[in-house]
Amino acid sequence: MTWLLVVMIAGYGIGAVGALTLGRSLFVRAAATSGAIIGAGAAFILGSANLLSGQTLTIQISDILPITGFALRLDGLGAFFLVVIGLLGVPVALYSFGYSAAYEGRYSLRLIGAMLNGLLLTLSLQVMADNALTFLLLWETMSLSAYWLVVTEHDQPGTLQAGGWYIAMTHIGFAALVAMFLLLSGGDAMSTSFAAMRANALTLAPLARDAVFLLALFGFGSKAGVVPLHVWLPMAHPVAPSHVSALMSGVVIKMGIYGLLRVTLDLLGGGPAWWGALVLAVGTVTALLGVLYALMEHDLKRLLAFHSVENIGIILIGIGAGLIFRSYGLMALATLGFIGGLYHTINHASFKGLLFLGAGSVLHATGTRNMEEMGGLIKRMPWTALFFLIGAAAISALPPLNGFVSEWLVFQALLGGFNIPVPEVAVAFPLAVGMLALTSGLAAACFVKAFGISFLAIPRSHEAEHAHEAPLSMRIGMAILALACIALGLAPFSVVPLLGGVLAGLGGLPDTRSVFTLDLMVQAPAGFAQVSPTWIGLGLLILLALIPLVMRLMHVNRKRRVSDTWGCGRIGQTPRMEYTATSFAEPLRRVFAELYRPTKELSIDFHPESKYFVKSIKYSSRITPLFDRVLYDPLLRLIQRISRQVRRIQTGSLHLYLMYVAVILILLLIAARWF
Amino acid sequence: MIVTGYVLEIAQVALALLLAPGLAGFVRWLKARFQNRRGAPPWQPYFELRKLFGKEVVMSNNASWLFRVAPYIIFASTVTVTLLVPMIVAPLALDGMGDLLMVVYLLLLGTFFLALAGLDPGTAFGGMGASREMTVAAIAEPTIALAIFSLALSAGSTNLGRIVTQELANPAVTVSPGHLLALAALFIVTLAETGRLPVDNPATHLELTMIHEAMILEYSGRYLALIEWASWLKLTIFFTLLANLFVPWGIATTFDPAALTLAVLALIVKLAVLGGIVAVVETRVAKLRLFRVPELLGASFVLALLAVTSSFLLK
Amino acid sequence: MNDALFSQLSTLGSSVILLYGFTLLWRKSLHAYTVAFQWQSIALTFLFLIIGYFGHDVELYYVAGFLFVLKVLILPRYLGKLEQRFPGERESRPYVNVATSLVVAGLLVLLAYAITRPLVLVSDLPTRGGLPLAVGLIFVGLFVIITRKKALTQIVGFLVMENGIALLAALGTYGIPLIIELGVFLDVLMGFLVMQVFVYHIHDTFESIDVDQLNELRH
Repeated sequence: MTWLLVVMIAGYGIGAVGALTLGRSLFVRAAATSGAIIGAGAAFILGSANLLSGQTLTIQISDILPITGFALRLDGLGAFFLVVIGLLGVPVALYSFGYSAAYEGRYSLRLIGAMLNGLLLTLSLQVMADNALTFLLLWETMSLSAYWLVVTEHDQPGTLQAGGWYIAMTHIGFAALVAMFLLLSGGDAMSTSFAAMRANALTLAPLARDAVFLLALFGFGSKAGVVPLHVWLPMAHPVAPSHVSALMSGVVIKMGIYGLLRVTLDLLGGGPAWWGALVLAVGTVTALLGVLYALMEHDLKRLLAFHSVENIGIILIGIGAGLIFRSYGLMALATLGFIGGLYHTINHASFKGLLFLGAGSVLHATGTRNMEEMGGLIKRMPWTALFFLIGAAAISALPPLNGFVSEWLVFQALLGGFNIPVPEVAVAFPLAVGMLALTSGLAAACFVKAFGISFLAIPRSHEAEHAHEAPLSMRIGMAILALACIALGLAPFSVVPLLGGVLAGLGGLPDTRSVFTLDLMVQAPAGFAQVSPTWIGLGLLILLALIPLVMRLMHVNRKRRVSDTWGCGRIGQTPRMEYTATSFAEPLRRVFAELYRPTKELSIDFHPESKYFVKSIKYSSRITPLFDRVLYDPLLRLIQRISRQVRRIQTGSLHLYLMYVAVILILLLIAARWF
Repeated sequence: MIVTGYVLEIAQVALALLLAPGLAGFVRWLKARFQNRRGAPPWQPYFELRKLFGKEVVMSNNASWLFRVAPYIIFASTVTVTLLVPMIVAPLALDGMGDLLMVVYLLLLGTFFLALAGLDPGTAFGGMGASREMTVAAIAEPTIALAIFSLALSAGSTNLGRIVTQELANPAVTVSPGHLLALAALFIVTLAETGRLPVDNPATHLELTMIHEAMILEYSGRYLALIEWASWLKLTIFFTLLANLFVPWGIATTFDPAALTLAVLALIVKLAVLGGIVAVVETRVAKLRLFRVPELLGASFVLALLAVTSSFLLK
Repeated sequence: MNDALFSQLSTLGSSVILLYGFTLLWRKSLHAYTVAFQWQSIALTFLFLIIGYFGHDVELYYVAGFLFVLKVLILPRYLGKLEQRFPGERESRPYVNVATSLVVAGLLVLLAYAITRPLVLVSDLPTRGGLPLAVGLIFVGLFVIITRKKALTQIVGFLVMENGIALLAALGTYGIPLIIELGVFLDVLMGFLVMQVFVYHIHDTFESIDVDQLNELRH
């Protein structure tokens, strides 16, 4: 297995070095793509091999880092995330070959190629880190390489600001993580290895354990995009190159989930019920707010970014339920919750990666992210449309695709809530069920909007009318992920036991590989319920073939005539008459007006002769996100107020600044001398 | 025995397909009678189907392949649901294939494609219908989920066969407050999901008030036939769910021919009663303004939540 | 005998180096600054040789060689070029006038004595007498940077301060490993080059290399 690790690192290395050193831009792109494919492919195989064999791979290189050395250990949990990284890394790398061609001459292809490989490398190693220093070093490198990729289009408005928010949020989280590891190591710098922390965590005072958990939730939450720390996500994802958005949304934010599981479940070994309840509450709010804001979004990539927030919420609901069950010793149900969360993690990586790549193809073809300027793309880019439709159906949890399976697992875990002996806790479960159901219903509505407005009907702009299909490499990239969505939906019977193996032993969870039956059913533990997406998928397929056949046998009229769209007597149909994304979302905006607080502006210009003739109508409406209103705006105002005070010492005089330095230096020396 | 089970599955699908138009026609006819009209005979929908299947399709020039594929997906997903819902016998041979959640999401699959097909021709009506349909579907979702929760709570499973058999074994459950509240909640959702008054008016001819009709405005010929048939089937499915999950008596638990015959008769009676109730409701109430629909569904959500909590208390 | 001589020589050398630092405080022309820095660096080179000889450390000879090339030959040459490029830029009105500067510098050296006292007390190095002088030189360099207005004089102040650090390292440890010493030299060179670029830019922007003008950048 070590050789696979070497191949992985070498692949990424060759990709990065090749991208930096080769001459022609075609070679640069080819090197970056092939290096990343080799690396991510090896990562995928390494992870799968580890999952199937259940072996643990340990590598210790003491010379690279001081004190503790560079320690890698690949266990089941890490291997699972490695599979996720590889699954998304390969198509993304392939896609980037075609996608970054458009950047030629505008942005540095070398930097993009090298950073893509660097990001994939740090991600792949991140899940193997086995001591705090290695973990933090990789964490920071990952954040920074992601930052450079996000600000690729640095000359576009908003890009640098988005990058700034990202780097600020991720570093606030980083600070929390450093504090968390310090607490976990018990202040002893030599025991930063995860094995020592695992032992140390048992002897920690309950209060310290709580603090570790809260810091982990905050630190990893800021990376995962948990509400209210999600603000950077809808800013950074849209401005990044689309294959990077896919990677960010698919795996980078998942590192938050990985970290949370690693620390709470593995290092701390689980905790009291309120930990899980907090995660469950945060997850519910995150899921619901994510989808609600996605609905109001007409920027295709921002919409997808908000859906990432939503899906992180769903993952956290599963994990939260798992933590609660674990604290009451209901291990089978706990495993079910965690399996739901993990399953949704890989599912989200595949369908959200697919959707971002699809949105990238649209952006590539039309030059806009605004849905109101798209339309009719299904005829001009049929492949992209088909792939996007598969992704949209998958994320809307429609059977027999993968989104359904993981949401079903999470639902089943929540339905087991009545087993909890404490009514106050148990009553949280039906609420979570309701919110999760609302979330998935709204997600379906949102993706009807996203697909329907962008791809169907008549083109709304000149650009959309002249859109072209994406190049082959991009289409293959999307096809791989579309197939993954279908496969993960149809084959849960082989995925779920693997996840059971991942969780076995973590935080005292039992090995549930034998509990989940291996025939074509997925069965919740204790026979609570069962379902078989495989058979349902097969049934749907048979029916889809059977219906036309029967219709033909019954001599149904098979003629088809194409004619004008019926339009209540008006002559000629223009795109202006179409339903827009704004109007599509209007009913829901009204329903949730309390949350959105929309402001409307309507100005109508009448013809001077008569007010029955309208010259022009201008309508604009905007919503203020809740957390901007109640959290970030006041916080920023406070910081600004403090900054204004602090600015008094900022005179602009270089000499004064130097004086500050000198005074501090002398004071320090004096302090060292006499105190 | 196993073969009989699968044969029964197919028979049940055939029965559902056969009954669905009749049920829709019966509700229409009864409504007309309540409104002092003569109305079309209950079997009018069968004629409609024959007429539509015999006509050529006229398609909008803006529509894409999705418009042509959607009717098949809608029909197939709805028919698949009839494989899972115990209509005459419980548990079904394929009971393990899907549970209540699968039923709900399969129906959502149909709704999803119906809404997309509504958007495809690019008319404002289609968009309006799609937008409203998805809004109603999304807001109805939590109620359905909670009703499922409450049913699962008493039966210990979300699989339909288990729920029905558990209730037959333990009849006291069916009159528990939790159960009755869940029934009320699910009834409201049924009205919303199947496009009945006061949420949607199936008989309207005014585009601005339409939901379901607005989406399928561009459909004709065999496509329209498939979609209409699927929507009647959906009505039948929801009625069956209401009937057999809350009043399961009459359903066969063995493959005994006498029991099965009785079950078919019981099903028809139950559907007729429910059809009668819906006809009364549709005669009595006016259509709600669209933006008041969420209030209605909100009320049903509260009912469902009460259902769950009272089940908790009694457990 | 040997140790006493070593001690005498190192203290003397340090004093000379510090005195060159003081020159900066009363001279005004850039040329004088450069020359003072050059002579100071020559003195520092000698001191390195002395320490190398008495401390039996061959590496220090190499360091002295590098130091000579960099600080006596290369940097003063660059400084000379800068002078020619910006003629007439004199340090005419520093923030603190000459008399006060000298007093403050004296106080700083006293402070340096006070601060390094515990170090000197416990140390049995023959070179310990020079330690306070080295710290004093660092302070003086810092003081020059703070109170002088012209970018060029500030650069020299920085270089002098760096000399102080090198002196402190040599006296306190008999020279740090060669590789680190080389790294420090490279740092100095880079720092110098960067500052040179800045000087050009400041001149382009404000038509003067008066750092005081940077106030206007505040908004």
